[in-house]
Amino acid sequence: MTQKLPISTPRSPARWLPQETSLLKYLCLAPAIIYDSIFFLLPLIFLVWIGFWSVENYRAVPGFSLSNYLDIFSQFFTRSRYGFAIAQSLWVAFTTTALGILLCYPFAMALVFLVPERLQRLLLVLAIMPFWTSYILRLYAWQTILNNNGLLNTLLVRLNWIKDPLQIMFTQWGTRIGLLHYLAPIMILILYLVLRNTDRTLMGAARNLGATQWQTFWRVVLPLSKPGILYSAVFGLIISLGDVLSGTILGGGTGQSILGKFPLFSAIILNEYAASTNLPRTSALATLLIGIMIVILMTGFKLAESEQ
Amino acid sequence: MMGPSGCGKTTLLRIIAGLEGMTSGTIRLQEKDITYLPVHQRNTPMVWQSFALFPHLNVQQNIAFGLTLTAHRKAEVKRRVREIAAMMHLESLLDRRISQLSGGQKQRVAIARALITEPKILLLDEPMSALDPHLRVRMQAELKRLQQSLGISFIYVTHNQNEAFSMADRVVVMNRGSIEQVGTPADIYSRPTTHFVAEFVGSNNLFDGEVIEVGQDTVTVRCPQGTMQALWREQPHQMGDRVTIVVPAERVFLAIADNSAENKIDATLRGFEFMGSQVIYFLETDTGYEVRMIRQESLDHSLAIPINSRLQLTWKTRDTVLLGERIQ
Repeated sequence: MTQKLPISTPRSPARWLPQETSLLKYLCLAPAIIYDSIFFLLPLIFLVWIGFWSVENYRAVPGFSLSNYLDIFSQFFTRSRYGFAIAQSLWVAFTTTALGILLCYPFAMALVFLVPERLQRLLLVLAIMPFWTSYILRLYAWQTILNNNGLLNTLLVRLNWIKDPLQIMFTQWGTRIGLLHYLAPIMILILYLVLRNTDRTLMGAARNLGATQWQTFWRVVLPLSKPGILYSAVFGLIISLGDVLSGTILGGGTGQSILGKFPLFSAIILNEYAASTNLPRTSALATLLIGIMIVILMTGFKLAESEQ
Repeated sequence: MMGPSGCGKTTLLRIIAGLEGMTSGTIRLQEKDITYLPVHQRNTPMVWQSFALFPHLNVQQNIAFGLTLTAHRKAEVKRRVREIAAMMHLESLLDRRISQLSGGQKQRVAIARALITEPKILLLDEPMSALDPHLRVRMQAELKRLQQSLGISFIYVTHNQNEAFSMADRVVVMNRGSIEQVGTPADIYSRPTTHFVAEFVGSNNLFDGEVIEVGQDTVTVRCPQGTMQALWREQPHQMGDRVTIVVPAERVFLAIADNSAENKIDATLRGFEFMGSQVIYFLETDTGYEVRMIRQESLDHSLAIPINSRLQLTWKTRDTVLLGERIQ
């Protein structure tokens, strides 16, 4: 029997997709590449390049000299105390990021495991909503809340929980609150996606093998979401290191911390840019910050990769 | 537990494990009521279809998982892991990552992980479906040996009847969320009790008809395909009962001219399929009903009957099974 039926095999859909060598691929990628090159990569290269220029008669002269960097490092911990400012920036960035993860992780977890599927998206949109308003506007709004006679302090005093208003404005806590408000949507989104993709069978398997819910979290859910934690930490650190606004508007430029009263490094760069005519030196300082960010980025991604 | 996909066999397994809630009934494990015991206190470990090994732990840590959840001395855990790894032939793989294992190795780790807490029962949810066919046969034998040497019950869910028949002491056939038949593989195979089991298991021909004569121990049934006889089972039948006669395809023969066999029908050969050592013949009765006949023969020694030949089929009454119900 086995008569061959005249089966008309439909042309495979893959044939209509762009092939590896297709021009279409490059055409589609071109706008993004061109845009990024002109408006991101080029300025960045320019910035790094200017860092090697020198100043003669108050004018930047193109060239290649390490004088800016020598100058910066020679007074790293002395006159300008760039080193302390960097340490201060790192301290604020790390504490803010840690706080952010501690706050956002439970939220993302509740969203994934407790909220019904239909409501998850709505709640996620609500969590991301702060992004829809201007960052500066939000910081000024926080000022009215955190002020000595702002919303929070008035409320706490009225409730008789405190006698004197809490000094939050113009401290590092102010800086952190502003940053956290900016970071939370990003962190929640990353952690939500990672937790959502955790294989639920593994949680079932852990329970089945005798793990309590608490043990399942510590032994399975948390280790499996480590990449997500690392990714959101990288974003948190980089954004916190580069941000000037929260530190200026809510933190008052400088902040007392365990390191002493030092401005944030990003604020120093901005000040130098505004105050001095030495653009090459400011560029060198900015390059230094970018270098730190790249190290953090690479370390974070490397760690996350080895986790997977 | 065997049944088509969606019949509820995995759900039942998960209910036993406590991973799924239930609305009524009780679960007893060796006379102990575990119906309301939380999942982590049941000690009813499961081997998952996808193995569900923890990707962030290595083989050793995966196997030890169940022991490390409660207070155990480190040396004790190590000894037990080594013991069970030896039993499952995993000694050389203990330091491997899960992603470095083959399918068969993953399965052995999954079984070792489940057995480390010395359970009284092991649940297996289609554990072979992710394995290569040749590996499947080997693992079946290995599992069976393991079960016998451990002396504990294995509840094995599968939709593959060969697997169920070759491994099980007792088979539960399920359909649409309820149990159709429970029995030994031989029981299920040669004495199906429901229409569904007769169709699902083996390769049976089913003839629906009406009882027109009740004899000493046989009934005569008129079917659209012809008049046939069958032995009656538990309940005696009455004239006019709607019944189904089950005729296994391997009990159907070609009628020889002078054969005085009890049951005969005419049919036309429409096609056949070679299945290695046997051939399945597909025939069509005059009423357009498909009848299957299985014969042990090879490609070289085939009967070589031309397609569309008119044939007469026959079978012995004692080879048939009578079903009292008829499902539309």
